[in-house]
Amino acid sequence: MLQVSDLQVIRGHKTVLDGVSLDVAPGQVLGVLGPNGAGKSTLLGALCGELSAHRGRVLLHERPLADWPGQERAQRLAVLPQASSLGFAFRVEEVVGMGRLPHRTGQVRDREIVTAALQAADALHLAERSYLALSGGERQRVHLARVLAQLWPGEAGRTLLLDEPTSALDPLHQHTTLQAVRGFADRGAAVLVILHDLNLAARYCDRILLLENGRPYAFDTPEQVLQPGALKAVFGLDVLVQRHPERGHPLIIAR
Amino acid sequence: MTRLVSPRTLFIALGLLCLLAVWLSLALGPVSLPLIDTLRVGLRLLGLPVNGDGLEQAELILGQIRLPRTLLGLAVGAVLALAGVAMQGLFRNPLADPGLVGVSSGAALGAAIAIVGSTWVGGVPEVFAPYLLSLCAFLGGLGVTALVYRLGSKEGQTSVATMLLAGIALTALASSAVGLFTYLADDATLRTLTFWNLGSLNGASYQRLWPLVLVATGVALWLPRRAEALNALLLGESEARHLGFEVEKLKRELVFCTALGVGAAVAAAGLIGFIGLVVPHLVRLLAGPDHRVLLPASLLAGASLLLFADLIARLALAPAELPIGIVTAFIGAPFFLYLLLRGRA
Amino acid sequence: MRRYASLIALCIGLVFNPAQAEQLPQRWVSAGGALSEWIVELGAESRLVGVDTTSQHPQSLKALPSIGYQRQLSAEGVLSLRPDVLVGTEEMGPPPVLAQIRGAKVRVELFSSQADLEAVHGNLKHLGELLGKPEQAEQRFVDYRQQLDALKAKVKAVQASAGAPGVILLVGHAGAKPMIAGKGTAGDWLIEQAGGRNLATNDGYKNFSTETLAALNPEVVVVSDRALTGDAALQALIKENPALAASRAVREKRLIDLDPTLLVGGLGPRLPASLQALAQAFYPAAKAQLAP
Repeated sequence: MLQVSDLQVIRGHKTVLDGVSLDVAPGQVLGVLGPNGAGKSTLLGALCGELSAHRGRVLLHERPLADWPGQERAQRLAVLPQASSLGFAFRVEEVVGMGRLPHRTGQVRDREIVTAALQAADALHLAERSYLALSGGERQRVHLARVLAQLWPGEAGRTLLLDEPTSALDPLHQHTTLQAVRGFADRGAAVLVILHDLNLAARYCDRILLLENGRPYAFDTPEQVLQPGALKAVFGLDVLVQRHPERGHPLIIAR
Repeated sequence: MTRLVSPRTLFIALGLLCLLAVWLSLALGPVSLPLIDTLRVGLRLLGLPVNGDGLEQAELILGQIRLPRTLLGLAVGAVLALAGVAMQGLFRNPLADPGLVGVSSGAALGAAIAIVGSTWVGGVPEVFAPYLLSLCAFLGGLGVTALVYRLGSKEGQTSVATMLLAGIALTALASSAVGLFTYLADDATLRTLTFWNLGSLNGASYQRLWPLVLVATGVALWLPRRAEALNALLLGESEARHLGFEVEKLKRELVFCTALGVGAAVAAAGLIGFIGLVVPHLVRLLAGPDHRVLLPASLLAGASLLLFADLIARLALAPAELPIGIVTAFIGAPFFLYLLLRGRA
Repeated sequence: MRRYASLIALCIGLVFNPAQAEQLPQRWVSAGGALSEWIVELGAESRLVGVDTTSQHPQSLKALPSIGYQRQLSAEGVLSLRPDVLVGTEEMGPPPVLAQIRGAKVRVELFSSQADLEAVHGNLKHLGELLGKPEQAEQRFVDYRQQLDALKAKVKAVQASAGAPGVILLVGHAGAKPMIAGKGTAGDWLIEQAGGRNLATNDGYKNFSTETLAALNPEVVVVSDRALTGDAALQALIKENPALAASRAVREKRLIDLDPTLLVGGLGPRLPASLQALAQAFYPAAKAQLAP
């Protein structure tokens, strides 16, 4: 699990993130929402160690993130970036297999995990194909399978960070992806996901951090955070908030 | 998608190819030696007690001329191919080439300084001359690469894109400097410089061979150990970091290996192009981009290819000799065009 | 006692003389144009089994196997011709290859490529020893020197009435990028021997801009083109370097072409004839006086 206290990140001369405190707890999915430029990707960058904090701390299992040796950190923390620039013709199962590199579990076990991860990302049928021959959405699912494989089976002690994992996916796969992520959390993993779709966040997240201009606007359950007033203030959007007829979570409708 | 060949088949085939190349390189040449003599000398060189009557010429040709040349070809071909893999991994681009970090142009500049400079100084004692040339070429290659690396790094972070641009700029600068030396050189020196630029395995001897063999062995043992890290690097620098690899250290190692290996190869044999570009490409076409297969396979393929090219260089115009850089260019360039066209189709 | 002594002397004589003949190399490889020409001059063309790319005279040499450029010899290549001796100038190389050839018990004999008579004398002496024709070599040198001296005397006589013309010698390729022959070059020596005044002030061969060349305003331009011969060479030079058209030499049409192989690898046997032609071109009025 990841604990963040009073995080401040400065890039160039601009304070991109300020005063953010949160913890990504085991078994929970934490969604991060906000308009473009609100600092969501910066937050992710700081949480995975890509960006250094000007002030504040990031602790992974109560140890500062920077103190973790690379391999051990990779066994506990995985990051799915927004886009991938892989330009070589690996087979899909080889790409997913790279998720097992931090571990020393042996070929047989790795192959089982790769298969299971591909299954969870609904990409098992792509296993033998060349990565370069896939569409954007298919590639995204392959990388999801890779990070799932990295933390498989997703028990307590594993943390998963995802940066807009549904951006290139069709509606069905948006849901299957988040269901896989949810499944991971249900088995005990801690998950933080950046989303831009308010309804997906409402359905799959236990808590939501709403960012505005680098500062936390709200940090609570979806019901509490996704209110018309807050959404108008942060996104500038007039919305109606209703309850989902079958599931009961907030349903945001633009007016 | 099925790979054209499985790794096992590939290694067996390449191993056999390499053995064939070595054999042909030892058995064929402008001097035609009867097969039985070649075999007898071979056994004697291995230390077996075989009768040596009438074998003096064969022993000289094989032991002093062809064998060191074959070893040189193996080492140069292997290290150039490995450096090609390393650079294509570093720049995450299959069109990358060891020359991108400036090592080739730096070595050419070092050689130009040695060749032209020694005529200015009024000649160098002949015993030093070949060592001086090799040393200057090696230092030139290392120097320019170090500069490219420094320009591309800031606060411990190396930007590959910046390094690429720095490499282009410094290569242009080094080439202009070589041009200046070319202008200032007299006719005879100019010819020497030109021939050096074309590359040759001519005049290989054991004394000049061992530094390169040491370096090549080092690179050949070191790089395959970083195969998994190179695979991860292809995903992207952040992704590789998230998988637990020390990416900055890896980039530094790749640049260093390339500079050292290519610098030593160029110092020993002049500029030989296309091996670093074409060999990894070819192996990838056959067996995919996994570095655990790519690295050892490229080593074997590069060594074999260079030995075959040298055969052509030695035999095509016998008793004269073609510079080997011409042969590799003639083979490499059309092949490369073919790859490009095929990729577009 | 004396009879025994003379018998022993006879035996020794018989033993050593044939051995002496055997020591003379029979199969020769030559890496130097001028050297090859001297070997042919001394009647030993049949002993040549291979020559380098600069050995182009006489034409019959071109039929021999070529060992490539003299600075980039291949050890095995040379050895495949089974030579007894490899002759060449100090330009021969690369040094490791020469070492390998020596290691194969082939004699490697070095000659001088300097452009002066002492070098020619030394080379001829050396060749004479190797060929077993020392007297013939010496005689050949004497003749050579005589020819040159005779020409010098005639030139001097002519110079008494006409001044030495300002000359430049240009080496080019199909007319382009001409290099001027400066001090210490074979070209310089040629100009001087033929009674000209080399207007170049530099050492060695250097690229000069055509404006500078034209500014030197030579009376005669000697053109040595690697790609073209004769009139074509002269035309190409003017075409590629229009600035030269303003110079005296071009205006008065005093351009002569010279075989470029005469400029490399030391002084060769064809020189006296070429010098003759040059001298006649330098002093056209005295053509008859300078005739051989």
